Amino acid sequence: MLAIETTELTKYYAKGRIKALDHFSLRVEPGKIFSLLGPNGAGKTTLIKLLLGIVYPTGGSAKILNQPISDHHTHEQIGYLAENHRFPEFLNARQVLYYYGKIAGVQTVTLKQRIPDLLKLVKLGDWAETKIRKFSKGMLQRLGIAQALINNPRLLFLDEPTDGIDPVGRREVRDLLLSLRDQGKTIFLNSHLLSEVERVSDEIAILKDGKLLRQGRVQDFISVKDQYQVKLSANEKHFREICQRLAIRLQEQNGAYLVSVNDRKHLNQLIDEMRSHQILIHAIIPRKISLEDYFIEVVEDREEGQ
Amino acid sequence: MMKTLALIQLTFRESFAKKTFIAFFAISTMLCFLFIFALNLDIVDGVKSSVSLFGKETGKLIELQKILLALEGAVAVALFTGGLFMSLFATSNLIPSLTQPGNIDLLISKPLSRTQILTGRFLGAVSIVAFNVFYLVIFSWLIFSLKTGLWNWGFLLSGVMIVLAFAVLYSLMTFLGVMIRSSAFSLMVTYLIIFFSPMLLQRDKIYALLSNKIYGYIVDSLYYFLPKTAELGNITQQLVRGVPITSWMPLWSSLLFGIFMLGITSFIFSRKNF
Repeated sequence: MLAIETTELTKYYAKGRIKALDHFSLRVEPGKIFSLLGPNGAGKTTLIKLLLGIVYPTGGSAKILNQPISDHHTHEQIGYLAENHRFPEFLNARQVLYYYGKIAGVQTVTLKQRIPDLLKLVKLGDWAETKIRKFSKGMLQRLGIAQALINNPRLLFLDEPTDGIDPVGRREVRDLLLSLRDQGKTIFLNSHLLSEVERVSDEIAILKDGKLLRQGRVQDFISVKDQYQVKLSANEKHFREICQRLAIRLQEQNGAYLVSVNDRKHLNQLIDEMRSHQILIHAIIPRKISLEDYFIEVVEDREEGQ
Repeated sequence: MMKTLALIQLTFRESFAKKTFIAFFAISTMLCFLFIFALNLDIVDGVKSSVSLFGKETGKLIELQKILLALEGAVAVALFTGGLFMSLFATSNLIPSLTQPGNIDLLISKPLSRTQILTGRFLGAVSIVAFNVFYLVIFSWLIFSLKTGLWNWGFLLSGVMIVLAFAVLYSLMTFLGVMIRSSAFSLMVTYLIIFFSPMLLQRDKIYALLSNKIYGYIVDSLYYFLPKTAELGNITQQLVRGVPITSWMPLWSSLLFGIFMLGITSFIFSRKNF
């Protein structure tokens, strides 16, 4: 069973003049952290809103947890943190979790146990009885995460969860997401912080102008095929000669070498030669680019393509 | 049911936090204290020997029951008019605040239908008003009854009528709140309907002023379609005074209007993109 499945999902606004989402098809496996990337106005929030029934599609279909998105009963297994969520300011942190828990259908007995645990989890244990109008943006965001978890959901939609949270807090949120994933929950993440996304996501999708540009494993996107970073301790002269002989392209980069080989066999040939010349290999690391670089490359490609 | 109840509770809290509930409650309490001190009766053998209201003698040797009914009838009409105005004002922001971005998305993401969300809010507003209206009606009824020794149960029906009239008018405010998302606008239109109601009641006199018969039909249609607050006020007074009601049409047609407005609002709300 897929956690999320969309088929040709389309959302147009202003009588078709604005294409927020254009024939968008996506499949998200359960038990993974899936991130949606895209520049502003790409259609990320629209997709989440469509999946949650907040806006209605112009065309196509979608399912969450194998149920059509029109079925609100599925929401019992869903948690959602909206981008600009607005909790009633007259409530305190405990009351926010209580009321939204009740609205989510959680029994009072369960809530009494779960609320202190969740507040502790998001580091708001000491603020339970404080009115949320006194909360900072980061604290509200943490409370939003706790609220999204109040019904112990199987599928979590988090729209910019680390927005307003300091670096230490971001790390805590990251750890929390990983631990939730390890519990078997599916997390659908929408974030501008690409370094965060890179660290936690199993899979990503890149959107632009309502269209899906790429979808796949993070590792597949950020590793560069047949390029390796080679770190040596000595005998660099010999190394250059070997590379020349084997027709391997070589570049020096921050005290290490970047080699471009034809394939794995070619790489192993290089290693054999290096070892036969007693070259001490410190490390051979597959070359990776940052997700940010990859993202910009993809988005700019699309712009040029247009 | 539990989810709807949570929404009603949340609406109560919102009203409480915005001080409208407290203001409502304080005004009701003040009115009751006014009745306690303003009404003075000297009774001899079940017949009043003297009655004074706000320090003025109101006549002599009138049967106490007649005075009580007249007094309660007048108070009921005052409560009906004042209560409606105050209740609509106090609850005018509840629907627009429900549809605010960041709030409505969160509610829709919960396992309840949009109709349940709207109904929860509507019932929350009606419950707030019902609580305050019944507090005022029951408190003043107790004052009148204890002071006179006569228990006119019909007075309690004024509470029911005020709440029903409020629910009908609030259905219109709910519709406008969902469509326009402005509390000031929905309040203005609803007050306008209340002001038009006595005019439409006198439509026989308006016909003479109309140049074309078609306008007459329009006035008639408006009369039958819109809530008949003026007549509901009259029915309230008649119920309190124990006068037989000649026609319940104003009540049931107003209730039909309320049901129609709620139905159409629920339909629109269920199809709206937020």
